[in-house]
Amino acid sequence: MADFQTSTHRAKWIFSPQQLVEKYRAANQRAKQILEKCGATLMEVDVDGSLSYPEPQMTAKDSAEKHSRTKPLTIEEEQCIKVFYENKLQEVCNNFRFPHKIQATALIYFKRFYLQWSVMEHQPKHIMLTCIYAACKIEENHVSAEELGKGISQDHQMILNNEMIVYQSLEFDLIVYAPYRSVEGFINDMEEFFNAGDNQLEMLKTLQETARFEVDKMMLTDAPLLFPPGQLALAALRNSNAFHRVIDFDSYLRGIFSRENSMHTMSELSESLDAIDSWVIVSHSNVCPLTEQMCNSKSTFCIGWEPWVTSVLHGPLCGLDFVCRLENTKVLLRRN
Amino acid sequence: MAELDLSKKVADRYLKREVLGEGTYGVVYKAIDTQTGQTVAIKKIRLGKQKEGVNFTALREIKLLKELKDPNIIELIDAFPHKGNLHLVFEFMETDLEAVIRDRNIVLSPGDIKSYLQMTLKGLAICHKKWVLHRDMKPNNLLIGSNGQLKLADFGLARVFGSPDRRFTHQVFARWYRAPELLFGTKQYGPGVDVWAAACIFAELLLRRPFLQGSSDIDQLGKIFAAFGTPSASQWPDMIFLPDYVEYQHVPAPPLRSLFPMASDDALDLLSKMFTYDPKARISVQQALEHRYFSSAPLLTDPVKLPRPAPKKESKVSDVISNEGPTVLSPPRKSRRVMPGRDGSEGNSLQGDKFDDSVVSVRQAAGDNTGKNEPAPMSLDFSLFGLKPPNRPMITSADRSHLKRKLDLEF
Repeated sequence: MADFQTSTHRAKWIFSPQQLVEKYRAANQRAKQILEKCGATLMEVDVDGSLSYPEPQMTAKDSAEKHSRTKPLTIEEEQCIKVFYENKLQEVCNNFRFPHKIQATALIYFKRFYLQWSVMEHQPKHIMLTCIYAACKIEENHVSAEELGKGISQDHQMILNNEMIVYQSLEFDLIVYAPYRSVEGFINDMEEFFNAGDNQLEMLKTLQETARFEVDKMMLTDAPLLFPPGQLALAALRNSNAFHRVIDFDSYLRGIFSRENSMHTMSELSESLDAIDSWVIVSHSNVCPLTEQMCNSKSTFCIGWEPWVTSVLHGPLCGLDFVCRLENTKVLLRRN
Repeated sequence: MAELDLSKKVADRYLKREVLGEGTYGVVYKAIDTQTGQTVAIKKIRLGKQKEGVNFTALREIKLLKELKDPNIIELIDAFPHKGNLHLVFEFMETDLEAVIRDRNIVLSPGDIKSYLQMTLKGLAICHKKWVLHRDMKPNNLLIGSNGQLKLADFGLARVFGSPDRRFTHQVFARWYRAPELLFGTKQYGPGVDVWAAACIFAELLLRRPFLQGSSDIDQLGKIFAAFGTPSASQWPDMIFLPDYVEYQHVPAPPLRSLFPMASDDALDLLSKMFTYDPKARISVQQALEHRYFSSAPLLTDPVKLPRPAPKKESKVSDVISNEGPTVLSPPRKSRRVMPGRDGSEGNSLQGDKFDDSVVSVRQAAGDNTGKNEPAPMSLDFSLFGLKPPNRPMITSADRSHLKRKLDLEF
C-alpha cells in the first residue's frame, strides 16, 4: 500500500515534540502511581489482550520494604532502556535476515506501543519480540512464533500472549511507512532529474547505500514519530550527499518544488530537514551511559543480571523484576 | 486481580441484536452503537486457540480496511478484544448483490445494471489505486446499504501488490470468478484478476444467473473457452508458459451477442474488453470507468432508486394490508415496473436500429468466425433443460485446505 497521503500513519501517528513529551510523562506517571500502590508494575497479559494489575501488597511492612528497594524509573531512564531494546530489535532482525521493511515496521510498532505504556508496565524484551512477530505477520512474511522463539532461546508463548495487547496499543493501525522505500524513490527520481550516465549511476548507488545507514540511525530515535517518511528520506540523502558530494542537492530540491506545485515552500522543507538532523544528532549524542554500558557489556558485567546470552544475541538482557535489576546496575556503576 | 475495564467499556458501547449469519471464521451479528445510534454488524473471531496467535485473515482485513476509506468500500468502524474474541465492527449493510440478482420479483433495467457495475468498479478502482488486490470479487461480497450504495466487503483474501518479484498463491477467488491465468496456475499476477471477476459479475447482472459455472478448474477453463473461443497464441502469447498450462481442443468464439442478446452495443464492447484473455491487454478498472458505456444512454439509476429485495418489515406490512380487504395497492417503489414489456420493446428497437453494425463488429471481434449459428454454449445447458443452476461454490474444501497450507508460505 503506497499512499501515505491518506494513511492512518499520517493522520494519527505524527506528533509534535511537546505531544511526545506529554505522552511519555503520562505513561511514566501512571506507572509510578501503580508502583506506590501495588509495589510492582509489571502487568499480566492474556492471549485475548486482557490486562491485570499486580496484586496490592498485603502489609504495610512489606510495602515499605519493597518501596525502599524498587524506585521508579525516570522518563530519561525509560528512554535509555527503549533505545537499548531498539538496538536489540535491529540485531534480531539482522540475524534472521528479515527485509528492512519488517525491521522498520517492528521498530515503529515498538515506538508506538511505548507511547501508550511505560517500560515498567510491560517488559520491553517481550514487547520487542512480539513487535517483530507482528511485523512479520502484517508484512506477509510469516515466521511462526515457535521458530522466532527458538531462534532467540525464548518461550514463544510469551509472544502469543502479548500479540493482542500490541495490536490494541497500535489502535489496529497496522500499515506503517518507513523511509527506506522513499530513499529508493528519490534515487530513481534523481536518475531521471540529472539524466544520469553510467558513472553517475554508480555514484547514486553509493549515495543510496549511505543514506540507508543514515535511516538506520534515524530509526533508533523519535524522528519517525515526528516527521513523515519522505522528509526523513530527504534528510538521510542530504547527509549522505554531504559526505559523498554526488549531486547538487539544493538544485535537486528546487527541481522538486518547480515540478510539484507544492503548497509548502522550499525553506519550510529545509527547516524540516535541519530539524531532523538536529533531532538525530541530539538523540545519539545524548545516549546515556547506562545504555552504552548495557550495549557494550562484557560477560563480567553479568553479575546481578539474569543471563540471556545466545549465539543469536550478544550481551545480556534484563530478566524479570526489571526495576530491582536496575538498582543493582546503578550500584555497579557507582562502584566503577 | 484488578481487571482493566477498557475492553468492557468498549464492548458495552455496542448493544447486541440478532445473529446475521456465520462467516468463514466466526459469527456475525447486528448491533446498535449506543454512542452514535448507528446500526452496525459485528464479526466475532475466536482468539487463543490459534497456534499462530491472532487470526491471519482477520488481521489482513483490519490492516487494509483501516487504510481504505471510500463510499464504495465497507467501513471498519472499530476493533476490540473482549471475552476471548476479537470483534470487528462494520457499518451495517441491508443486503448484497447476490440477493438482488436472485430475486425474481426484481426487474433490473439497463440503468440499474449500469449503476451497480459502476459502484463495483469504483470500489475496485480505489483498491487498485492503493495497490490492493481484492481477490474475492463475487456478488455476495458486494454489500448494499439502506441508501442503495454498493460497497466491496470481505478483504480476508485481499493483499498488497506492486513489489517486484513477489509471488502470490493462485488459489484465490471462488471458482466461477477466477481468471484464466489463475486457473493455469500463475503466481505472478496483478489487478487484471479482479477485472475478470468484475466482468463475471457484469455478465451475471445481465443474465440474472452466474455466467461460467465450472465444476472443477478444468471444467471452468472449458466453459470459459466455450464462451470466448480457445485463445490463440496471438491473443495471449504468454499462455503456454503458465505453470499449469494444458492444451485445449480449439473451439471458435461464438458471437458475444448470442450470449447476451439483450445487452447494448456499448455493454458488449465493455464486456469483451474486461474478458480479454491476455491480462496485459485486459482493460484496467480506471479505463473501464471511462468507457462510453457509462456515459451513453440510458442514464445510470440513482442508487437510492435501485431495486432491492423487500426487507422483512415491508413483507409484514403487506401481510397486514392483505388481511384488511380485497384491494391491495402496489407500493410506490414498484409503480415504475407496471409496463416492463414496453421498456423491453424500446430496447429491442434500439438494438434493431444498429443490427447491421453490431453484426459487423461481432464478426471483426471474432476474427475468422463466419457468423453461422453455433450450438448453444455449455454455460447455457441448465436454462435450456429447465434445471436449477447448482448453488454457487464458496472456495471448496480442497481449495481451502490448499489455502491453509499456503498461509504459511506465500500469502
